Amino acid sequence: MSSREPDRITSAQQTLDILYDISQLLNAQLDKETLATCVGMIESGVNAEALAAVILELRREAFSVNKMSNGR
Amino acid sequence: MPPLSASIHQLVALLVPATRNDDTLRDDLVAHATDILSSHIGQSNSTDTAHLTSLIRRHLSQSNASPNASLQFTNLNARLQAQPALARKHDALLFLHTLASSSRPQPPSILSPKSPSPLPIPSPLPTPVDPQSTSRSKAAILAEYRARIGKPHVPEHLLLRDALYLLQGISGKHISLHDGNLTFHHDSKYTITAPLKSLLHRLAEVGHLYARVDAFVRSRDVSSSLLPPSSAHPSHNTLTPPQVGMIEQSLAHHLQSQLTQYYRLIAVLESQLNSAPSSSPDQSGLTLKRLDVWINEWRLRMRMMSVCVEGAKGTQGGALVNLIHSYTDNGDPFVRSFTDELLEEVSKPFFLTLHKWLFSGDLYDPYAEFFVSVDPELADPRHAGPLGSFDAVLPMDNEDMSSDARESGLRMWESKYRFRKDMLPMFVDETFGRKIFSTGKSLNFIRYTCHDSDWATTRDRMSSAHQTHARGTLSYTDIPGLERSIDAAYKTASARLFEILIDKFHLTTHLKALKSYLLLGHGDFASQLLDALAPSLGRAASTLYRHNLTATLESALRSTSAADDAGGAGEVLRRLDVRVLPYGQGEVGWDVFTLEYKVDAPADTVLDPESMGAYLKLFSHLWRMKRVESALRDAWMRAARGRRGDWHRIRLAMAEMIHFVRQMTAYCQLEVIECAWIELMEFLNKREGDLDGMIDAHRTYLERMVKKALMLSPKAGREENLLNQVRDAFGTILQFRDAMDSFYNSCLSEAAAIEQEHDLERLRKLVEEYAQTFTEQASGIVHSLQTHPDLDCRFLGIRMSFSDYYRRGK
Repeated sequence: MSSREPDRITSAQQTLDILYDISQLLNAQLDKETLATCVGMIESGVNAEALAAVILELRREAFSVNKMSNGR
Repeated sequence: MPPLSASIHQLVALLVPATRNDDTLRDDLVAHATDILSSHIGQSNSTDTAHLTSLIRRHLSQSNASPNASLQFTNLNARLQAQPALARKHDALLFLHTLASSSRPQPPSILSPKSPSPLPIPSPLPTPVDPQSTSRSKAAILAEYRARIGKPHVPEHLLLRDALYLLQGISGKHISLHDGNLTFHHDSKYTITAPLKSLLHRLAEVGHLYARVDAFVRSRDVSSSLLPPSSAHPSHNTLTPPQVGMIEQSLAHHLQSQLTQYYRLIAVLESQLNSAPSSSPDQSGLTLKRLDVWINEWRLRMRMMSVCVEGAKGTQGGALVNLIHSYTDNGDPFVRSFTDELLEEVSKPFFLTLHKWLFSGDLYDPYAEFFVSVDPELADPRHAGPLGSFDAVLPMDNEDMSSDARESGLRMWESKYRFRKDMLPMFVDETFGRKIFSTGKSLNFIRYTCHDSDWATTRDRMSSAHQTHARGTLSYTDIPGLERSIDAAYKTASARLFEILIDKFHLTTHLKALKSYLLLGHGDFASQLLDALAPSLGRAASTLYRHNLTATLESALRSTSAADDAGGAGEVLRRLDVRVLPYGQGEVGWDVFTLEYKVDAPADTVLDPESMGAYLKLFSHLWRMKRVESALRDAWMRAARGRRGDWHRIRLAMAEMIHFVRQMTAYCQLEVIECAWIELMEFLNKREGDLDGMIDAHRTYLERMVKKALMLSPKAGREENLLNQVRDAFGTILQFRDAMDSFYNSCLSEAAAIEQEHDLERLRKLVEEYAQTFTEQASGIVHSLQTHPDLDCRFLGIRMSFSDYYRRGK
């Protein structure tokens, strides 16, 4: 199992790269780190659509916070 | 795998950088995110990856200007699916897709400054629209441009209602339909694009065709409701507006039911239009293109219907069925099945009429659509009914009446019904058509002209025979069954007709009587009659009285044996009659006397006046021959007693004449009449064919006799040359006989009057002259006979000059 560990990591890395490309293509506006976190969550069983809702919610929040701080 | 909360924390920190300094905000957001995650958002658990990828691809093609974006995606997706690391690839894709598609409707300007947009190109349009709109298609940009300059395209959902109206041939708000012309209202506010216009044109075709078919159906409905089919003959109604035939009615009915289906389709489409919110036309609602697809099948169907409607204008009845039938050979299964269906419906009244015609001999065809047409004059049952059956039997005082009445049988048969080939449907071929025609005619004849009381039984038999073949009614789909029933009906009807004519109306007896009496088949009768009549016939025609002749005829009939086998003397006597032809100056009884045989109504179909004329013609020839024969017979008795010398020469001449007459008689009786008779009897005993066949057989029989007995030559204008020669020869024989009688008387009185010596000499010369003339005539006849085209006549010539007597004389 341990001998395959490096393989697993590279393949995960590749997968993540592909997903990142897709997200770029779809204009999903995610950076690699966020994407990695999200994919991890999905793999652990989180509902994909709910997660998308969370992301949107957080973005909106970030925007309002940003605006507030800009306004300040 | 980090716990869920850690991931959430990480996300919050990544997406909202402000939380790094603000713990309360971070906690709030984390709590909020946890709430969302534990809520029931997106519980749809469809795992159809193919559907998802197609959704994504569509999303890409809609939003992205780059044409190979979707290709790129396909590539990436394929690689992703090959990766072993991820267990939930579908969910990952779904996540990305949801994120991408839901980020769009959101006002993008709000979050754009910070987001890492891959395409941060400044918008080419100085509009308040955000830069993301550049990812839309060029068409969208164009539409926006148009909207800006104030001439937007008509939105499709506005046109949709109009299109539905168009399908029903009604003008809409933006488009109007008049007489097949489609016009678009050029609104100042909207324009209609060319593709949409052509699409609308396509739709409008259906609407136009619909209007035509509908108008046809309606017109048929109106006229048929105004004019209920009357039982009167069509010819009586020529002044009324064109009637709607039953076949046309059923066509209209079928079209109506088709139109009802069409209405149903339109109703469904309309409800779809109403249920779909007009704001999102591209997802589930109705679009013009979808409408076009929906209506596609109906376009073809409408075209077919319209063609039928067009065809129905000029034709009617069987011709219309033919027109429709010509489309069943189409290679397109759709067209074929449609036509079959239509034909099945349309031919129903035809088959009803056919059934009635075939099994009861009644023509129910108020609109003259069947391929059998009736002569309205003769169809009147009062006219066709009892007429002739009584009149003809009664002795008639009025000649006109009798000839009129006697005509009826054949006229009824021949001209009451007519066969119309152009009305015969193509799926029934012509021989069968003829059979049907003949069957119905026979039945009708049996029924109305023969007054057959057994009619019901015959019909029952036929219907039951029919039931075994085809279940219930005849129809278009069962052509073999139809043909079988036609055959069966034809056989039954013909057999019945033969049975009736021969058994009930004694046709054979009539024929036999005609042969025995009119054709002098019974020698004893002819001799009796001749002997009894000879004294009175020798006198001038004006001294003949019919009652005297009738009495003589009766006694001749009673004395002959022929009466025994011809149904009794009474029967024959009733029909056999003497007639005195209209005579001129100086004619003797021999010239005007003739026998006549009367037949009554059904039998006179075969023994029509024309053939009776032929019989009379034959009779006069045979009668003349008989007369000559008997004259010679009488003279022979005198000549036989004479001494040698003069009388010997007379005997020689007479022998020649007797030979001539005997050969003639034998030829007529044995070779002509008997041979023809056998053929006729063979036909009658076979009992095949219909009444037409019987009439034909009888006609052939008569024609053959007339042609051969009278030795008619086929050369035009010279038919009777030979006959005239023979008559002249007969005349010479009679003159010879008169001269011989005078000579005989002179010889007897020779002793008493010596001074009449030179008178005797004159008579002797006369006799020799006649004998000479006769020999010349006979050799002329023989010569003509030898070149006669008819083989039997040629043999007669050979027999007459068997020892080459006449050739030597020449």
